[in-house]
Amino acid sequence: MSPTTPRRLLVRAGRRLPVAVLAVTLVFLYVPVVSIAYFSVAPTAQPSVPIEGVSLRWYAAVLSDERFLRGLRSSFLVGGVVALLGTALGTLGAYTLVRSRLPRWLRGLVGLVIALPLFVPTVVVALGIGLFAGRVDLGFGYPTVVLGHLAWVLPFSTFLLTARYAELDDRLVEAARDLGASDREVTRTVTLPLLAPALVASALFCFTLSFNEFLITFMLAGGEVTTMPLQIFSKVRRGATSFLNAASVLILLVSAVLAVTASLLRRPTT
Amino acid sequence: MTGAGPDEPREEPTALADGGTVARPGLGDVGPLRDWAAAALPLALAVFLGVLPLVVLLYESVAAPGRLVSLEAYRRALDPLNLRIMARSFAVATVVTVVCLAVAYPVTYWLANRCRRRLRLPLLLVLVTPLWLNYVVLEYTWVWVLAREGVLNALAGALGLIGAPLELYPTRLSLLAGFVYLYLPYVVLTMYVSMERLDYRMVEAARDLGASDWRVFRDVVGPQTVAGAAAGALIVYARIAGGFLTPAVLGPVTDQMLAQVIVRAYRTNLDYGFAAALAFVFLAVVALLLAVGARSPQVREELKRW
Repeated sequence: MSPTTPRRLLVRAGRRLPVAVLAVTLVFLYVPVVSIAYFSVAPTAQPSVPIEGVSLRWYAAVLSDERFLRGLRSSFLVGGVVALLGTALGTLGAYTLVRSRLPRWLRGLVGLVIALPLFVPTVVVALGIGLFAGRVDLGFGYPTVVLGHLAWVLPFSTFLLTARYAELDDRLVEAARDLGASDREVTRTVTLPLLAPALVASALFCFTLSFNEFLITFMLAGGEVTTMPLQIFSKVRRGATSFLNAASVLILLVSAVLAVTASLLRRPTT
Repeated sequence: MTGAGPDEPREEPTALADGGTVARPGLGDVGPLRDWAAAALPLALAVFLGVLPLVVLLYESVAAPGRLVSLEAYRRALDPLNLRIMARSFAVATVVTVVCLAVAYPVTYWLANRCRRRLRLPLLLVLVTPLWLNYVVLEYTWVWVLAREGVLNALAGALGLIGAPLELYPTRLSLLAGFVYLYLPYVVLTMYVSMERLDYRMVEAARDLGASDWRVFRDVVGPQTVAGAAAGALIVYARIAGGFLTPAVLGPVTDQMLAQVIVRAYRTNLDYGFAAALAFVFLAVVALLLAVGARSPQVREELKRW
């Protein structure tokens, strides 16, 4: 045994360190999700390890709970409107940043203003919109919540579509023009079909961001709107239960399905 | 080729000037008008929801009945208790950011340079999937990991590691775990991009010349990736300092954070001036940090990728 052995061992351990950190990270990221799924099939309301059996009764309870279903409907409604408006406005924003012939400084300014909510902390954005809505008598409720969510999703949809817009081949547009197509026909038959996958991806992305959003809704909802995250939050503060676990798993499934669909659509464009 | 990229300088749209780059018979002066119309809607919304609220925020923070400007709200926002809460918020953000970087560095280094090519994308996807999941639910799941009856205590108890269940929730530890859980994927994503551009041949060259692991990190890997690390830190730092949900769900009741004070002042106490003043002070600190960070052109480049 040479005296350098311990040192060499240490070096070898050092080389392995990244893999070890990665393994710990993966455990760290997925243990909570697996735990909640495990507890959600417990038969009792306050389960402990090991659970006393397997039962789907809490899923049945969640799916027949009027308040949970109302929250889900609110979330889908807000998410749907935000997805449509966010994508439409994002398309116009992307057009402005990539294609329009406005002065360069002006396009830069548009990009900067759209990107603002990425750099201003959410609590400040939400407070500002809430105070503003109060000043102009818009009050609280669905319109204010939708506007708040739009402020949050617009940078994402704009920049996602900007990337795709910039890849479009100008020659196709030129060819269509040369063949006598009007601006509208070019948009309808060339630009939009080429953008279609990115538009769908953007809509799904906006929907997911809105579906997951909590703080903006919390600040702007008032008494009338209760989206899913708000429901969960109000119940978390009253204590963790199996009912909440089953509801959580269902919500994770919804956002996971959205995420997978969106990333499958996005792959060809990036 | 006409206008290939978003950054290519364009000519001013003086009347028909663009007719030279794009042949549009008879449409030369309609284009810019249409472009104005297209820009108007998103710009109006962004101004309406991004700029005006900040103006209202400033206005509310200095508004007072019968006087033009009052700094009363700022005096209350900057009292010792709130200063302590602010200091705590930034301290939490610092610790969480450092932990995220410390984890993201080895993970992304290995993933981008050492990992088998086939595994790279799937592993990266697995690491960033939590970004897509509902963050209220994600934070809630930690209650079941760390609570008295939770998974961790049950496992440690079964293995005979502990005699009595540990009080892990709600503590500073659960707060830290919750924050790292939410923000690690952002840092991993940002760092991965810069690790991917790292020239691995330089690492090998340094090793061949006898450099120790520490020197390889200090002289080769570090300098090439520090901009990505700074960008990742800038992206998450303010979000952590201004986080509301994590301290509300996982933090100890005694350790209030900034956003909790702002939200309570606004929602519960209807103390708008105070909420606005506190938010504005916070925003000023964040803007200062961003301005300092964005002074470096490399960091700006990394931030632009977002």
